[in-house]
Amino acid sequence: MCRFRLSNYLRIAIAVGAVVLGLAILQRVLPAQSADTAAQGQSSDQFTPSHRTISGAIREFFYIRSKPVQPIAYTHKVHLGNGMQCTDCHVGVDQGPDARIPSVNFCMTCHQVIATDKPEIKKLAAYKARGEDIPWQRVYGFEPEAHVKFNHAPHIRAGVDCSVCHGDMRQQTVAERKVDHTMGFCIDCHKQKGASVDCVTCHY
Amino acid sequence: MERRDFLKISAIAGATAALEGCGNPDHQLIRFVPEEDLLPGIATWKPSICTQCPAGCGMMVRVMQGEAEVIRKGQLGLLKMGLAKKLEGNPAHPISQGKLCPRGQAGLQVTYHPDRIKNPLVREGARGSGQFKEIGWDDAIKQLASQLSTLHTSNPPGGLAFVTGPLRGQRKTILDAFTTSFQGSYAVGAAFLDDSVARAANGASFGHAAPGTVDLANSNYVLSFGADFLGTWNSPVAQNVGFGHMRKGRPGMRGKFVQFEPRISQTGASADEFVAVQPGAEGVLALAIAHVVIAEKRKPLASAGHAGSLIDGWAQGLPDYAPEKVAAQTGVKAETIARIAREAASHDPAVAIIGDSATAQTNGYFNALAVNALNALLGSVGKPGGILFGAGLNAQASKSGPASLELFASQVSSGAAPVKVLLVYNANPIFSAPTAWGVRAALDKIPFIASFASFMDETALLADLILPDSSPLESWLDDVPPSGSAKFVMSVAPPAMAPLHDTRSAPDVLLDVAQRIGGDLAKALPWKTYDEAIQAAFAALYKEKGSKTAKDADEFWSRAKDQGGWWTDEPSATANGASGGRPIKASAAQFDGEASQYPFHFLPFASQLFYDGSLANLPWMQEAPDPLSTVMWGTWLEINPRTAQKLNIQRGDLVEVSSPHGKLQAPALIAPGVAPDVVAMPIGQGHESYTRYASGRGANPISILAPATVEGTGALAWAATRVKLSAVGRSAMILFGGSLTEASPELKHR
Repeated sequence: MCRFRLSNYLRIAIAVGAVVLGLAILQRVLPAQSADTAAQGQSSDQFTPSHRTISGAIREFFYIRSKPVQPIAYTHKVHLGNGMQCTDCHVGVDQGPDARIPSVNFCMTCHQVIATDKPEIKKLAAYKARGEDIPWQRVYGFEPEAHVKFNHAPHIRAGVDCSVCHGDMRQQTVAERKVDHTMGFCIDCHKQKGASVDCVTCHY
Repeated sequence: MERRDFLKISAIAGATAALEGCGNPDHQLIRFVPEEDLLPGIATWKPSICTQCPAGCGMMVRVMQGEAEVIRKGQLGLLKMGLAKKLEGNPAHPISQGKLCPRGQAGLQVTYHPDRIKNPLVREGARGSGQFKEIGWDDAIKQLASQLSTLHTSNPPGGLAFVTGPLRGQRKTILDAFTTSFQGSYAVGAAFLDDSVARAANGASFGHAAPGTVDLANSNYVLSFGADFLGTWNSPVAQNVGFGHMRKGRPGMRGKFVQFEPRISQTGASADEFVAVQPGAEGVLALAIAHVVIAEKRKPLASAGHAGSLIDGWAQGLPDYAPEKVAAQTGVKAETIARIAREAASHDPAVAIIGDSATAQTNGYFNALAVNALNALLGSVGKPGGILFGAGLNAQASKSGPASLELFASQVSSGAAPVKVLLVYNANPIFSAPTAWGVRAALDKIPFIASFASFMDETALLADLILPDSSPLESWLDDVPPSGSAKFVMSVAPPAMAPLHDTRSAPDVLLDVAQRIGGDLAKALPWKTYDEAIQAAFAALYKEKGSKTAKDADEFWSRAKDQGGWWTDEPSATANGASGGRPIKASAAQFDGEASQYPFHFLPFASQLFYDGSLANLPWMQEAPDPLSTVMWGTWLEINPRTAQKLNIQRGDLVEVSSPHGKLQAPALIAPGVAPDVVAMPIGQGHESYTRYASGRGANPISILAPATVEGTGALAWAATRVKLSAVGRSAMILFGGSLTEASPELKHR
């Protein structure tokens, strides 16, 4: 019998490989976690975990967020470059919690006639023809576990520019998350501006 | 493996793990284009009207944008729309005054119920098989219109029948137009609980065929004969608010409240004094109290006026009703009667109320007349703290009430009523009628049955065509509540949200059909949609009453819609205009079933949660513990502790209850608040079919009731059945929401 000696590094590699394989199997057995559906754990009679999968839990811990894939390659650069303002589309931003993304009807008011030959605009028209709204995927948001209720209106009233939290959208085509909304990011600005840092201001 | 390799592999593996799982999640529902432009995250409150019981409380609905899973054109998807989230009382509304009872709160579940009928259905298999096919609205309305048009052309007398719950406002106007246009048609009332006996008695005693409003807030002494006025009787929310004011709204004054009934109800449990009375003897007891008041010259007997003259022996001072003479019959000691009479007569204003089982005996009409006479004697009619009749209140009171379901069923079965088309709206007559009435057999004879039901209940199962009504929160609503406030009230509410499913408001459908039928019917109902009809009613109201604040009918309408209706102070009418009617002698209550064979009085009672059973489909009402027993999700039979001991029945034992007309089984609950010869059971469970939450659950006490009638009216005497009990020999599970309290030693029956 020959002695099969494993180096220490190989032992570690095997151990890590086994864990990753296990996660991969879990990933196939359990459905993939989506960025914008609420985390629903696999509940048992006694325990309902806050994350659906272990990989989901690990990702949340390290603030790894999946990159959203949008149904239409909307480009902020072109629209803002043509003189539109943020609030032309995101109308709710100074009125309440949600900035709002307009429905397909709003886009079609212009795109009935503008750039109708472009493939992305054709996709837009197809949604409208089917009577469906565009299923935009969420780019910015907080995990449900954070229990954060964010309200846009007070921030606009305080004069905070959109680009402070969302980056310079004039450089972006499809919306990307350029700014990480960690709690530190929020608290830093709140402290600087003298806004309340009481827990209950945002977590309730 | 080398260290370098290890690190390389780790880095690649780690990066792969981090990027894993990105992209579009599959199986995401498609999104429909939103039809409304709401601001997300901001709630608005809209006025509405509660329709869960006949009180007609004004509500406020909290509406917020949300996403609903709906089916549009056969496809499931998400729709951003305004959604009703919470119901509360409307603070401005004179009936509810900002409060809402649990039944009202549960109204939210009607809209979001998973078992709602979501589109029109046409019967496919045999009647009652439950096999239906989905059809479109155009098709459904064409079918209904063609059936009615054909009937209208030949217009045979008695060809059309409506079976409905209590209808008021413009819904009643639409019903009346149909029944006028179709010769000899039937408008049948199928509500198990109604105020027909009170209306008849008040009409005879006071000239006002109306329930009247009890001004509890200003009362000092309340005598309630069987009326569960804090729970289910008449206008519970308004009465609760009034009672609260009576107790705590006047510094130093608390008033006294005495409840007379054979079983402690939720109202009885709030009384200062509970007096057990023999079933059916409530009228005699009221007259015994009157006797003492007259004999001791505390009030002049002439002050009872016409109401007193309707009682045989009144002019002589009611000699037959001396307390000693009626103590055995009523089950109340003579000293108690005399003491209460003295207290009531010396604490003005005193008021007497009668309802529920006391008016559901064969002598219920007499009992009501007796209590009316007592009220008149005590001087409480038309005065603060007493019973108020609004002068203009019953603009809508029909000269004759709805036709009796019992009579209708027997005439259809015998062939005397040649009904060809039956429309069922807001009613479930199969469930809410005693089996002895033979309603099912009668419906079998009718060639075409159309229903507006929102849920597949026992009656909807027998329909040939179902045109599902939208839920109340999705419909235009209007109401003229007949009781609950001294003010004149006309409520109106636009829909709080758009319909979730492919349903239509029943009045809209009837208006559409009326236009298609044409002729005099279309002329009588010249409105395309129901809101036009309501607006016409408000225009007429503005013309009649004017307004201090609105300068024209349009502004009047607009303000009414904003606040949930229009109301104004009304001078209350005194008892006048009543004349005629021969004096009535006391009649003893008759009970169906030989006392030797059927030793117990069977007392069904309205459930705090299910009312008359129409709310059993709402899971909040199933899981809410009954206030007295704390039972949830089930039926129970209340048995007196001594009786249970004699019969060797313990809590949870399954008991078979048999009347001469049927039998049922229910688990026993030992209840000290029930007289030894009475067994009581809540109404509401025992549905054969009524969504997943109520189907096949519990037992229906209505099914075994005797077809007894309240003399002098056509109403069902639902407290006039006798039963026998036998233990089945098994235990049933009862779910209790609270801890059981053992019988308090002070609660004793003789």
